[in-house]
Amino acid sequence: MKVAYYSPLPPERSGIADYSALLLPALRERVDVVVPARGQTKPPRGTELSVYHVGNNPDVHGWIVDALRRTPGVVVLHDFVLHHLVAGLTLARKDVAGYLNAMERDAGLPGRLLGLGVVDGCVPPLWSTRPGDFPLAGEVLDLASEHGLIVHSEHVRARALAAGFDGPIWRIPMPIWPEPPAEPAQVEGEPLIGSFGFLNANKRIPQLLEAFSVVRARHPRARLLLVGPEAPGLELEGRIAALGLEDAVERHGYVDEERFWSLIAACDVAVSLRWPTMGETSAGAIRVLSLAKPLIVSDVDAYGELPDDVVLKVAPDEREVESLAAALLLLADDPARRATFSGAARTYAHGEHGLDRVADLYVRAFEEAAGGPAVREQLLREVARSAGDVGLEDAEAIGSALREVGLGR
Amino acid sequence: MRIVVTHPQVPFAHGGAEVLAERLTEELNERGHQAALVTVPFKWYPRERVLESAFVWRMLDLTEVEGRKVDLLIATKFPSYAVRHPRKRVWLVHQFRQAYDLDRTELAEFGESAVDRATRRAIHELDRRTLGEAEKRFAISQNVADRLRASLGLDAEVVLPPPQELDYRFDEYGDFVLSVGRLDRAKRVDLLLEAAATDPTLRVVVAGAGPDRERLEQVAQSHKLNGRVEFRGRVDAGELADLYARCGAVYYAPVDEDFGMVPYEAFLSGKPVVTTTDAGGPLDVVADRRTGLVTAPRADELAGALRYLRDHPAEGQEWGLAGKAVAERVTWDAAIGRLLA
Repeated sequence: MKVAYYSPLPPERSGIADYSALLLPALRERVDVVVPARGQTKPPRGTELSVYHVGNNPDVHGWIVDALRRTPGVVVLHDFVLHHLVAGLTLARKDVAGYLNAMERDAGLPGRLLGLGVVDGCVPPLWSTRPGDFPLAGEVLDLASEHGLIVHSEHVRARALAAGFDGPIWRIPMPIWPEPPAEPAQVEGEPLIGSFGFLNANKRIPQLLEAFSVVRARHPRARLLLVGPEAPGLELEGRIAALGLEDAVERHGYVDEERFWSLIAACDVAVSLRWPTMGETSAGAIRVLSLAKPLIVSDVDAYGELPDDVVLKVAPDEREVESLAAALLLLADDPARRATFSGAARTYAHGEHGLDRVADLYVRAFEEAAGGPAVREQLLREVARSAGDVGLEDAEAIGSALREVGLGR
Repeated sequence: MRIVVTHPQVPFAHGGAEVLAERLTEELNERGHQAALVTVPFKWYPRERVLESAFVWRMLDLTEVEGRKVDLLIATKFPSYAVRHPRKRVWLVHQFRQAYDLDRTELAEFGESAVDRATRRAIHELDRRTLGEAEKRFAISQNVADRLRASLGLDAEVVLPPPQELDYRFDEYGDFVLSVGRLDRAKRVDLLLEAAATDPTLRVVVAGAGPDRERLEQVAQSHKLNGRVEFRGRVDAGELADLYARCGAVYYAPVDEDFGMVPYEAFLSGKPVVTTTDAGGPLDVVADRRTGLVTAPRADELAGALRYLRDHPAEGQEWGLAGKAVAERVTWDAAIGRLLA
């Protein structure tokens, strides 16, 4: 089978580019994969199925949606919230009507009016302020309805169904790097707690700092490692100083891949919080688990789907800091408990997220998407013909039975 | 209880799976249940027929018959387990192996076209749902249970089917190796012939008919085995029992067999079994140097094993008797007890 695989790839800096760089060699062992160059929206000759990786960044994914519009296919939906992408595909291209239509589709006439407010400058950009309320995934879902949708979480599957998506959906976990190459970096801290990735309010960094100060009171040698560039407005330095944690927090901005792995490897405990989310699954969290690190996550959306015996979960509610401190102390106080979570993390990551398993699931989705409609149509035609031959017209009963065994839509 | 046993039927074909379904129905009736065997013809080619055949089962209503409830349904092999029943149990003989482990082998059914690939996936999905919805799942061998687990992630408890009733007895530890079974490539009788070719002292009797007979006879001729290999064709129950009673050992080494009744029949006659490391189901009961010999699937190694048994009859008899103790535990009482529990 020849598959056209539309995705960003390194050196583009994007989590999805890294994802595809990891996945493609495993896919190529199983199917004939062609990767169109950036901007090439026409599928290569002989393509039997086109697959499009769609995320929220218009600079990275805009051309991929253009290709999807031209030739519908399977969509790998990395984020459910696509407001930023849609704004880039419409307003940034001076297509005001396109943006307003997308807003109306998501939220009716009030959505259109709100969109007009954005266009006129009297409402702050919704892709920055309220993207989760207006995910604007409708067009992409429509374009995927014939061939199907690949998602990473039950959360996104449920949201797609709630949005009226009626095509096939495959849930395929994120793959892990088979052999993380890193030696642990030399970083002090007993225990050493780490947070990895872009540092912003969504990552609950302020709450993490407060909770860590509680841990520090009981464990004076504990240290917090913050790895990733800081978002404007976070005022990290001031927050650290206000909590008296200047000597307890070690910061790294953007680090290269090898250093990133080695810093994760150095940690005793990792924290991967997110609220609100864009419906994404955190590749960072899966990396941490693959290195067998005890992990604390937010108990929301895709993060909440991680098994309870693999991660500790903290709800982003009014008691978030208190709960987070309790979870951190639970792990900080008890090395045996850390060891238990460490073992569970490794087993889970290498089982559920193993690269070969993920690649096999992709091939299954490709094969079902490429030939499935024809198979179903052929069967339905034959069954309907037989029913018609004998004067039976109870199509609903037949359709229901076909759906029960996975042969109907 | 009123119990329906379901089984697909290939008209004019009658093999071990058919015997199993028939015997199960009879044995249930003998134990005071009211059991009936329901069959529907199965055709697997052209490939779109597979799904149609499966879907026919789904459209059947076997929850009650003539206004009386069917208390339990026991499905056997693909696609008879696609039937709906609130108390469906599956005693899995095998899935449609062409969609699984036989895919992209010389026994493959599906090609590389998008429709072929998707048909195969549709069979997986149908299996996942219709086997998944069963109240309980059993498999006729560890090999079948392992395949189910590996392919669909579904568990099944192993319930071994008892062998057919024959006049099992031990007459002598004779000078020939017996091969029993349908003659098709997967049964790998040619490996036995090649082994015989490496050792002019080995004698072989082949009992069974099938599409591979002509080729096998040619193989025997090409190895100049005339006089040392005897093709008996299909034999009746009396002759089969006699062959088991008089042979020195039984060869049974199909490629990754689902189950294989032959080792049990050999054991009940007190004979050791020679099989290969890749035979699948037979390895559930043929343990190396305990109930027979297990060799690599190579003619020279197989010949060595057969020679060993001929030259060490005391050990062969000891292993045959150990096998008999194993086979005697595989009874219909035990099987039905677990299927209905």
